[in-house]
Amino acid sequence: MPLLFRDQVLRIKAENAEQISILQSLETQEHLQLDFWLHPANPELPVDIRVPFSNVQAVKVLLESNNIQYSVLIDDVQAVLDEEQQELEVNQGRERLTKSFNFAAYHKLETIYEWMDTLVAQYPNLVSKINIGSTYEGRPMYVLKFSTGGNNRPAIWIDTGIHSREWVTQATGVWTANKIATEYGSDSSITTLLNSMDVFLLILANPDGYAFTHSNNRMWRKTRSKTSGSCIGVDPNRNWDAGFSGPGASNYACSDSYHGPFAESEVEVKNIVNFIKQHGQIKSFISVHSYSQLLMVPYGYTCNKPADYQELENVGKSAASALKSLYGTSYQVGNICDIIYPASGGSIDWSYNYGIKYSFAFELRDTGRYGFILPANQIIPTAQETWLALMHIMQYVQAHPY
Amino acid sequence: MRWTLWIVLGLFPLIDGHPTLKTDQNSLETADAALNHQNGSLNSVLHLDDTEKAALETTRNDPAFPMKELNTSHYPATRAAKVAQHYLNYHHGSPFKWFMVHAVKKASSEDIPEVGKKYHIQFSVQEQATKEIVGNCTAEILFRHTEVQSAPEVNCTCDDLLKIKTSDADHALYHHIKHQPEPMTGMDIPDSHGNIPKEMEPFWYLGGIGASFIMWQQSNESTLYNMAHVHSVKQLNSENDLLAFEYVVLLHDMVSQEIIHWHMQVAWNPTQGVKVTQCHLLPKGTLKQPSAEKHKI
Repeated sequence: MPLLFRDQVLRIKAENAEQISILQSLETQEHLQLDFWLHPANPELPVDIRVPFSNVQAVKVLLESNNIQYSVLIDDVQAVLDEEQQELEVNQGRERLTKSFNFAAYHKLETIYEWMDTLVAQYPNLVSKINIGSTYEGRPMYVLKFSTGGNNRPAIWIDTGIHSREWVTQATGVWTANKIATEYGSDSSITTLLNSMDVFLLILANPDGYAFTHSNNRMWRKTRSKTSGSCIGVDPNRNWDAGFSGPGASNYACSDSYHGPFAESEVEVKNIVNFIKQHGQIKSFISVHSYSQLLMVPYGYTCNKPADYQELENVGKSAASALKSLYGTSYQVGNICDIIYPASGGSIDWSYNYGIKYSFAFELRDTGRYGFILPANQIIPTAQETWLALMHIMQYVQAHPY
Repeated sequence: MRWTLWIVLGLFPLIDGHPTLKTDQNSLETADAALNHQNGSLNSVLHLDDTEKAALETTRNDPAFPMKELNTSHYPATRAAKVAQHYLNYHHGSPFKWFMVHAVKKASSEDIPEVGKKYHIQFSVQEQATKEIVGNCTAEILFRHTEVQSAPEVNCTCDDLLKIKTSDADHALYHHIKHQPEPMTGMDIPDSHGNIPKEMEPFWYLGGIGASFIMWQQSNESTLYNMAHVHSVKQLNSENDLLAFEYVVLLHDMVSQEIIHWHMQVAWNPTQGVKVTQCHLLPKGTLKQPSAEKHKI
């Protein structure tokens, strides 16, 4: 293709039939090498012509002398083409990266962070990354925001990986982010959801812990904060301001369910609380854990049922049915305190009491055969079935504004 | 085959003074009580003495001590069913047969004054290798309310348990191991990503069955145990026709969320099944952490 260096595209507004016929006669002037992108037909429609650089002045003079209105649509066609080509190559590169990302594997923290950047770059009009604050060890906490616009739309919050050893949850978060981004526009439920709501997804809610599970101890659960004494870390799901230091949490620093010195002592928890409060329009709060195959609603800090229990239980049961429909995986549904154990200072108890009615906690696969060390070949089936439950909840939330 | 089982445990003072120490183990189990394989049913006599039996008789059908129907999704029922699972595995498991609770169908409990609480569970189990479901299991589990941890007493029967036949696989494995020039060893089963080499699977199962003994013995109404990981397995010399292995396993208690490390010696052959001959709790921090490069627990 010949170089179109400084060729221009002119947009011509013919006013009458006479001007149209002048333009039509221009088409026959082969020596001008005019490339009509929109042919002269009638005065209602614009006429677009790519004019070779060498003939630009002559054509403009001709138009002006006939009182034919025009504007310069593109003043350097080659530059536009170059930019387009560059973008194409970059996108192909990114697409290769996102397409080649192995969702059926567990990845280190750095890899997940890199992948998040490629997702944002690939879908810049849908996905953005927000740094909601740093961890104890100084790592950024990144939330992916999925939005088609609006101004602070009502939103869904999902977090995975708050207990770092629960690896299938972070992996499910990654898969889910990819699902939303790639299928917006083609999947009608995602598209409808994002028409009026935003989704916030915190894939690594405990980055310090996650890094530690890779470098030192696969079974690490807590944060990595140093409080007093020789033991490190606080159970981030006993540290929320809901029945803090009540039943089901330990005041012993070496315990895996240590609640911490005070509520929200953990910066990771505080960052989420600050974000939620500052946003002000979160309508559903979903925390994802593993293992046990449970879908739970508040409360954990008391066995008394929350006011909305019946509705939440109903939504949970339908969500669990949807989940089961894919691979037959059975989930139990109920309030935390009765289903698994009394547990105070939990995230969804806090979110519910804060006013976020549709608060749910998942415990993903399995029921104890592999436990925390779920084989990587179960990541995608787990994420796929969980997606059906998440989608059910999100659609319900959208249909029940409050 | 008669079996007299000695369980020797050392009481290790924990370096960091872990407050939930429950290691007192002095239970002795005789073959008559434990292993009564008849048509796939397992009966262990609940060890109530005469006074206790009288108390139980009095409370039965007494409106002051009613049988309480339990929600099968709630933790009292699921914890009791898990104990029955551990019991079933220890008495019926093998390197090719490992059960997990599939569904709890019905559950009730009764208080036994001065003794503890007895659960009645109807449940199904799924065998993990074959995926076969054994649909009709019933169990009675008695949790004694004692100062120190005591093993729950279990009475468990399953219809059709014997339909799952693994004797060919068991025998083939036994002969294979017997004829190896070197004793087998293994580590990190599964690895951090959940991978288990095919040839290690039977040793993972064997660890799970052995661990089931420990989990059964350590269970009470405030625990829910699963084996989280096999840290290491090493074949030991054995003079008789039993194979012997030394394991270090990680157990996860869902209720406290703690990971506890146990050392155990396991004996096995296809006809006699699995026996834990020794076990003791390892203090936190005993296991050396390998270098940062490898995936480890």
